[in-house]
Amino acid sequence: MIVALKIWRFDPESGERALREYEVDAPEWACLLDVLDLIKDKHDGTLAYRKSCRMMICGSCGMRMDGRAVLACKERMKPIVDSGHVPVISAMGNMPVVKDLVVDMEPFWGKIRAVKPWLDPGYDEVAEKERIVSQQQMNVIHKEALCIMCGCCVSECNSMESDPEFLGPAALAKGFRFVGDARDHDDVGRLNALNEEHGIWDCTRCYFCNERCPKGVDPRDAIAKLGAESIKQGIDHDWGAKHAKWFVRSAETTGWLRETELVPKTQGIVSAIKESGFALKLLRRGKVPSPFPPHVADKVKEARALRELVKEQGRDGALGIVQGEHALGQIEFMEEAGARENAPEIQPGVEPPPAEG
Amino acid sequence: MKRVAYYTGCLAALSAKELNTSTKALAPKVGLELIELEAVTCCGAGDIHEAEPDYYLHLNARILAYAEATGCETLMTICNVCTLNLRQANWQLKNDPNLLARVSANLEAVGAPPYTGGVEVKHLLWLIAEGDGYEQLKSAAHKGLKGLKVAPFYGCQILRPSKILGFEDPDRPWSLEAIIEACGGEAIDYPAKIKCCGFPIIQAREEVALGELIQPIEQATEAGADAMVTPCPLCHLSLDAWQLKLREATGRDFAMPILHLSQLIGVAAGLDESELQFKRHVVPVQPVVDQLEV
Repeated sequence: MIVALKIWRFDPESGERALREYEVDAPEWACLLDVLDLIKDKHDGTLAYRKSCRMMICGSCGMRMDGRAVLACKERMKPIVDSGHVPVISAMGNMPVVKDLVVDMEPFWGKIRAVKPWLDPGYDEVAEKERIVSQQQMNVIHKEALCIMCGCCVSECNSMESDPEFLGPAALAKGFRFVGDARDHDDVGRLNALNEEHGIWDCTRCYFCNERCPKGVDPRDAIAKLGAESIKQGIDHDWGAKHAKWFVRSAETTGWLRETELVPKTQGIVSAIKESGFALKLLRRGKVPSPFPPHVADKVKEARALRELVKEQGRDGALGIVQGEHALGQIEFMEEAGARENAPEIQPGVEPPPAEG
Repeated sequence: MKRVAYYTGCLAALSAKELNTSTKALAPKVGLELIELEAVTCCGAGDIHEAEPDYYLHLNARILAYAEATGCETLMTICNVCTLNLRQANWQLKNDPNLLARVSANLEAVGAPPYTGGVEVKHLLWLIAEGDGYEQLKSAAHKGLKGLKVAPFYGCQILRPSKILGFEDPDRPWSLEAIIEACGGEAIDYPAKIKCCGFPIIQAREEVALGELIQPIEQATEAGADAMVTPCPLCHLSLDAWQLKLREATGRDFAMPILHLSQLIGVAAGLDESELQFKRHVVPVQPVVDQLEV
């Protein structure tokens, strides 16, 4: 089949940026990466892009096709050719372009390093026996452990466009991969670090990361898990955490959001007073509804009782999100992992009992 | 008439009352009979999902249960965030019998109806962008928008994650454009129409949020739009009210009128000011009203 592509080229020496069109004869099974290889081999050896494994596991070939971050080795070209569309290929976003389709990943790696991406088990001596974690415990971090660090989620992160220092979806998903790990001893230290200014509460919930991730990591859900774990541990000093908690308080008291109280409950009284000029302008347009009489849902007692009941059942924190993943079909593991089902529970910081047998 | 359970959400009953009045006035004109739910609560807006996710699931299950108790197959939403929260909970419950059994038993334990998974959650936008709703819209919008240049703003949580929303291509959506054109307007295209308005972090991280908000406002202005339309009251509050802060922060004189979806169609369908309530907007809608001679 004849494949046509347009590629945004960038020459760092001249600073020139240009959209070039290419046409190559490629086999029907070709993916975008195969087509780029053909272009480089047969038409233009100066074309720059990254690649390695060609099978969606190394995370090297992240780039944009028609503005969407993709892995070049995952995108089959035949349906696109059949539709008559000529896709535009460009470098990923939120990272500086080095040449053509190659971006500088150093800021990305810096953020990964910032979340301490290694296990801190809380003991130094390594026992001779194997330490076994139960399947249920590993399921908690199954999705986050699938990350191949390709950068597709970061490419389209809306918060990072606005705040380049935001840790971003890949690093935060990595953060949860360790916070949620039953063997890790430093949950509180990690959560405190991730609650700092450019951490979890910077996320604007645009869900581009979940949409783009080629491996089903769902980084936004990982960020929500970190928020839930933080609040469970009482790490709730950030305005983002206070904002989230006010929705819970509203739901169990009136059922509906107590909207006018949201600013002082999030930002504190001093900041709310500073905002009073803006609030007055909104008040004139009816945008600041009076909290009196409160807008109360019928049968709100049910919502209150439900919270008490749910708390007793103890599925708070990240577990409340993990329990829904089974249905979301993102987890390929099943209970058939048999032998490991009965492995002893591991307590962080406590050396686990040696495995039997 | 199609009977649908109607979930207003928080804002349409509070700071965005104009969304509720215009939706109720518009509904019969596009073939929808709204059965309003009285005993329901906030969906948690993503915040309860992040603070106490198991409670989030139960609150949303309770809303779904009360919708199911009306006998309607469809629960209609008018907010992106409500749509995602309810659809996400519904998906989890419908596809995991053990989870559904536990949650439903908990609902009954506190006196709420059980939930069996019999409801589909659909946004007003989806009900009128195709099928019967679209046919009725075309005849209802007889007054037309007289070529008004309207920039559609989708926002995030009606498009992504598409495995839960799934109505249209999240990168190339078409529903708002179809409605604008059916109403006699001209849809303006611009890249930020599928991006974030910044609202979820506008109180906790205002500067970051404004950096997001400026993109759609600036691009729609430069593309020559007379107004923007959004299916989400949270996007509306951000685009409309926080446009003031954007002016202060940038020194630029943005003055983009922002319409709720129900108001845009409502204008074309001849609703009056008591139903549209443009006086409740922060950025004046008068230039649009003048242009259309409403």
